[in-house]
Amino acid sequence: MRRMTEATGTTYGVGIGWRPEIAGFVAALPGLRFAEVIAESLAPGNPLPPALAALRERQVAVVPHGTRLSLGGAEPVDPARVRHLAQVTELLGAPLASEHIAFVRAGGMEAGHLLPLPRTREAVDAMVANVNRVQAELAVPLALEPIAAIFDWPDDELDEAQFITEILDRTGALLLLDVANVYANARNRGTDPVALLDRLPLERIGYVHVAGGATRDGIYHDTHTDPVPDAVLDLVTELCARHRPPAVLLERDGHYPPAAALRGELDAIAEASGFPLIT
Amino acid sequence: MDVPGQSHTWGIPGPTFLSIFLVIAALLLAGTLVHRAVSFSGRRPENPGRLHPLQVAWLNGGDHLAIYAALGALRVAGALGSQADHRLVQTGPLPAWATRLDWAVYQAAGQGRRSRELIGDPGVRSALTELRAELERAGLALPPTARTAARVGPILLLVLLGVGVLRLVAGIANHKPVGFLLLTLACLAAASIVLLVRVPRGTRAARTALRTLRDQQPHLSPEYLPAYATYGPAATALGIALFGGAVLYALDPVFAAEAEIRRTVASGAHTSTAGSSSGGSGGGDPGDSCGGGCGGGGCGGGGCGG
Repeated sequence: MRRMTEATGTTYGVGIGWRPEIAGFVAALPGLRFAEVIAESLAPGNPLPPALAALRERQVAVVPHGTRLSLGGAEPVDPARVRHLAQVTELLGAPLASEHIAFVRAGGMEAGHLLPLPRTREAVDAMVANVNRVQAELAVPLALEPIAAIFDWPDDELDEAQFITEILDRTGALLLLDVANVYANARNRGTDPVALLDRLPLERIGYVHVAGGATRDGIYHDTHTDPVPDAVLDLVTELCARHRPPAVLLERDGHYPPAAALRGELDAIAEASGFPLIT
Repeated sequence: MDVPGQSHTWGIPGPTFLSIFLVIAALLLAGTLVHRAVSFSGRRPENPGRLHPLQVAWLNGGDHLAIYAALGALRVAGALGSQADHRLVQTGPLPAWATRLDWAVYQAAGQGRRSRELIGDPGVRSALTELRAELERAGLALPPTARTAARVGPILLLVLLGVGVLRLVAGIANHKPVGFLLLTLACLAAASIVLLVRVPRGTRAARTALRTLRDQQPHLSPEYLPAYATYGPAATALGIALFGGAVLYALDPVFAAEAEIRRTVASGAHTSTAGSSSGGSGGGDPGDSCGGGCGGGGCGGGGCGG
């Protein structure tokens, strides 16, 4: 049974990743309709943090974003972690949930961060099996986010677009496209990011991540702690000209700037995507 | 149980003395609690959100916390910093929003004062006096007269306690049972001292306003690890005001350590130290629970009023 081969009709506009550190800033955004919370930061047995509950009362959709499922691992995904994601999704009343096309542990070893999969058919099979296990527990669609990779595995059989499309086709999952990742990958490999957009199933995008980054030693790092570069905003414009996704979300994970600067980033994303201002 | 011919201490039988003693103690205690209930009530602000963060800080933690809130706001604004020798330094211009207390703290930093010296700085002292006067006019801080008046009852209770102690000594000398009197005196001593020491600086209206603000601003609670740079100076000052001196360590650990900030100055979990009192709130008051529970039991068996 294929679920949700196309994103639902609701349009949310510009959103922001809810982090406790900036909860007061997020709460003060008058036009906000879409936010994301790190799934692992919530405990299903407890009530939502008051600041997050207040957003839900305002009818802001809050999507849980998993980071620790390790869907790309060779071993089956941990049922306790899947249950946690499903419970958090229900607690939030979220219209969808999201996770990464990546692995964070292998053979019992925790990497501590997201690692890219080799783009092989075997990796696709493992990924698909795990996504199916998660979808069996979730009452709403799952969106999958390809990650930034500074290197490619030597035994890749598929290119990036083929790899992502194959996983989406076989699972019926939505795409969580990180435009900053697309930019980072293309820039670090010397390829054209727009060309990748043209080869991805853009109508399957659940929502889009936009984040800042910085160039160090000639390599662009998708840091989430720096301002969003103009080149990434331009790519948002290119994407929206082809197919405007339901939501475009700013992911900021640290080194939070003054409120005016953060509002400026949200306004720039609204301008780049053609969505209304939320500030 | 009185044997004819046996002399009563001071010519008053034990049970009679204890009864009279308990009635007077209960009246004094009730009077004190009613006085506190009335004179500590204050005036509720229409919108607690309109209170200035430094006012909130004073209400929660007095002079020290008001100074800390000013330090935090000026720090986030880039106006001052600290040195390894604990002296404050000016690191930027005085912000346009500065209140008189901010200004005084900033000036003192320009003179290289340490943060613990700020409380004695004449400019800071005068700004704090003004801050307190504003809060008194608003019905949020207790005026000194009300604080003095609140101590009359406990002092009368202590006088009564003195009489009881004399009776106790005389009773023991007279080989009379004194168990119930001793118990009564112990309870009375505890109640009197608590009521004497725990006179809050803010009114009940102020404590309600603090609770309201904490509920309205959950994101400023330290457990959210607030991004003070995003929230700006005013919200930072409010965070310190509502959640105490420890917030400065979350804001800037090096600055807080160099400025010798005391983490224990107020906190948001519960109002502490001299800033809190259960006032006239009945059962919650230690004095009240004793007034009812300890004096009863009558006189029989082993111990009575000397």
